[in-house]
Amino acid sequence: MASIPAQHSDLASVPQARVEVSEKTATVPWYIWCAVFATTSATVGAYWDISWHETIGRDTFWTPAHLAIQLCGVLAGIAFGYLILHTTFAKNSPLAAASVHIFGFRAPLGAFIASWGGIAMLTSAPFDNWWHDAYGLDVKIVSPPHILLIIGVYSVVIGTLVLLAGHMNRTQSESHTTENRLILYINGIMLTQVMILLMESTQRVLLHSVRAYLVSAALPPIVLALSSRLTRYRFAATWVAAFYTLFRIGLILVLPLFPAEPKLGPVYQQVTHFIPEEFPLLYIVPAFALDLLWQRTKGWGAWKVSAVSGVVWVSVLLAVEWPFASFLMTPAARNWFFGTGYLYYALPPNSFAVRNVFYPSSDTPWQFGIAMLGCMLVGMLAVRWGITRGEWLGKIKR
Amino acid sequence: MKRLRRRGAALLFAATLLQAHVGSPDIYLESKAGPYQLFVTVRPPLTIPGVAEIEVRSESPGVHEIQAVPLAIMGAGSKFPPVADALKAAPHDSQFFTGSLWMMTSGSWQVRLTVNGAQGQASLSVPVPSIARASKRMDLGLGAMLSVLGIFLMAGIVAIIGAGSRESKLDPGQEPTLANRRSGRKATIIGAIIVVAIVVGGNYWWNSEASDYSLRIYKPLRMSASVSGTNLALKMSEPGWMQAETLEQAAYRVFIRKMDDFVPDHGHLMHLYAIRQPGLDVIYHLHPEQREDGTFILALPSMKAGHYKLYADIVHSNGFPETMVSEIDLPETSGRPLAGDDAFAATTPWQQAGSANTVFTLPDGYKMEWLRSDKPLLAKRGISFNFRLTKPDGSAPSDMALYMGMLGHAAFVKTDGTVFAHIHPNGTVSMAALMLTGNSGSDGMKMDMPGMKMAIPNTVSFPYGFPTSGRYRIYVQMKHGSSVETGVFDAVAAGT
Repeated sequence: MASIPAQHSDLASVPQARVEVSEKTATVPWYIWCAVFATTSATVGAYWDISWHETIGRDTFWTPAHLAIQLCGVLAGIAFGYLILHTTFAKNSPLAAASVHIFGFRAPLGAFIASWGGIAMLTSAPFDNWWHDAYGLDVKIVSPPHILLIIGVYSVVIGTLVLLAGHMNRTQSESHTTENRLILYINGIMLTQVMILLMESTQRVLLHSVRAYLVSAALPPIVLALSSRLTRYRFAATWVAAFYTLFRIGLILVLPLFPAEPKLGPVYQQVTHFIPEEFPLLYIVPAFALDLLWQRTKGWGAWKVSAVSGVVWVSVLLAVEWPFASFLMTPAARNWFFGTGYLYYALPPNSFAVRNVFYPSSDTPWQFGIAMLGCMLVGMLAVRWGITRGEWLGKIKR
Repeated sequence: MKRLRRRGAALLFAATLLQAHVGSPDIYLESKAGPYQLFVTVRPPLTIPGVAEIEVRSESPGVHEIQAVPLAIMGAGSKFPPVADALKAAPHDSQFFTGSLWMMTSGSWQVRLTVNGAQGQASLSVPVPSIARASKRMDLGLGAMLSVLGIFLMAGIVAIIGAGSRESKLDPGQEPTLANRRSGRKATIIGAIIVVAIVVGGNYWWNSEASDYSLRIYKPLRMSASVSGTNLALKMSEPGWMQAETLEQAAYRVFIRKMDDFVPDHGHLMHLYAIRQPGLDVIYHLHPEQREDGTFILALPSMKAGHYKLYADIVHSNGFPETMVSEIDLPETSGRPLAGDDAFAATTPWQQAGSANTVFTLPDGYKMEWLRSDKPLLAKRGISFNFRLTKPDGSAPSDMALYMGMLGHAAFVKTDGTVFAHIHPNGTVSMAALMLTGNSGSDGMKMDMPGMKMAIPNTVSFPYGFPTSGRYRIYVQMKHGSSVETGVFDAVAAGT
């Protein structure tokens, strides 16, 4: 990530007190770097794997993309398993006093969460394999074993955040620049991972449908509000959204450079190189609006901030995404940057994406308006939950 | 006749939900790829997407390499072949090749084989109907392992929630107070309730996915039979498989089954086998015609009384074949004489017949002989079933003729009613589908080309493999002059 703007020091609801503990410096511990690497590997692997399925088709378990995903689980399992064992059994472990106790073991809470995520990820592998054998469903992202995998990845990410927050809250250092940057990075990873879960509901052809705005209001604002509350950066939400945006644009620029062909049929679209995911949603614009809003509402109560945030998030997103989606349907977007000409090999010729038309909606303008109000309400709850979690993380000491 | 009408109104209508060919999903094809004679076996997967197993035996020497690629037979998906997979030659037999291919969607597919050998490159396309037939159950070992891991994960997350609430905000070294412990217990209980709710919801979701999948499991067109006078009417209905009920399905489902797109398969839109139950002792091979309203109508020939199982083969315009099944009770019927391509045979019920008889004496004194090898018959093992028609004196008839453009037809029927397969000299594939793939090597059909004068042999062979072990009846039809002869043979297939 590039340079981060100066810290905003007086966001009202973030606890100011940092607890003095035995860790004498704010040096980021090895296990956090390990977790950062693991979550990065899972994110790159997940998008690579989706591209693999859209370009080459279903392949062996041992593709590099699968290995990159499972490396996250293995790394989390080994690193945090070691941390738990070391903290439990080693004499004079520096983290012994800053541990929670589970099943007779002790370690920082984040280590337990992340290692749980690693085990969940590894469990999902045989479950997923059986699922495909039993039901044969492959093209769906949202299936029970995939959800277990995604929950596992999220747990590693959340565990990392908890470890980072606990480390920050325990150390004496006034400045946590590296830690805060890492928190923004991890939240960027989280948002990028969340968008995998929302991928089927936020396709280009659905961007004139309620569904895309409903799911956009439900999950991304949690990550953005949490980031802002935890780091106290003025443009935390913007930076997190920027990570997601750049990551996805990067895929559009990089993946097509590598030649590949479908190994499975039927092939409805001729493919000669890796197919990237679609252009990112323009979350960066409403995220920037939220940052501006939160800078100006420091004295407000959490519910009031959340209510206005929900309205701002949905209104701004609708204002920018709706016309932009119309643009994405035009021939002008079928290029190396917007990438709407990159089509999944098994996309039937009659499908909406191939015809560049939106999925038709039967909603009247009134119904759509009421649905958007519902989205704002969902957005409000999401922001409120994000604030709560951010505040909780600000108090974690173990 | 009145009795017939009465009974016709109270017929037994039953549509059995089985697959094309009924209980015999494996595909056997014996044909030429250019100069190479190949015996191909394709074992389609149980689920879609799933992996089809392919075996190819080259009966011509000098084949170095065989590649396989899946394609739709026609329309979208037939233009861009994916990267071909090379089949592996068996270590002990360089002319036997095996491999596998993913079948990703339901529909009318072909597996295109490209052969490289001493006589150059050639290709052969094998029509493969791609259908989901069932879903697998989880085996005990995997189920136990996932259960243990699942319980561990559930207990683990509940413990993490409790510990997080109890201790995570405490200063390092500080012991949890009574209030902290109480908070931890409360969080543990709430966490447990949430986890149980997630498991219950997940179970509901799992069942819902399984139920959705079951809708994609192949169901043949339903067929109901009724008799009015001496006319048999076969009415079809759609049981709800591969239909486009939503805009999304219409946009993303390339193969949508219709009931008005049948194409003739060797000259007839429908091939109807009526086989008397339970002895399988009387068989008719007839050809109903389709009316404008879609119903198939047949003027019944004179038929023996009994309970008949009806197997009706049709082929859709994209080459997708189906066998519809129904049943009917018929009294002794006095109808039209058998004519044209109609065929009939009567013999002893299978329960009273042995399985060693290889010679069947026909009503006109001719004989049909099964040229059976000494090797035992094994289930799922593709072999050539060879038959010979001779005059009463044992010599070859001089007036051998093609039966519907081929040297013969065969039907393999398992005595327990679970298998029916209508086979041609090329194998199990429909000739219409084979023609749609653009093959030049559909041997049986080639013999019927106008202007070609060829000596028609008195032998015929059918590539086939019994799908399961058990007892089967084989009905073989060959023609000499204007007489269509039907021989009946019994066989027992052992398990492999």
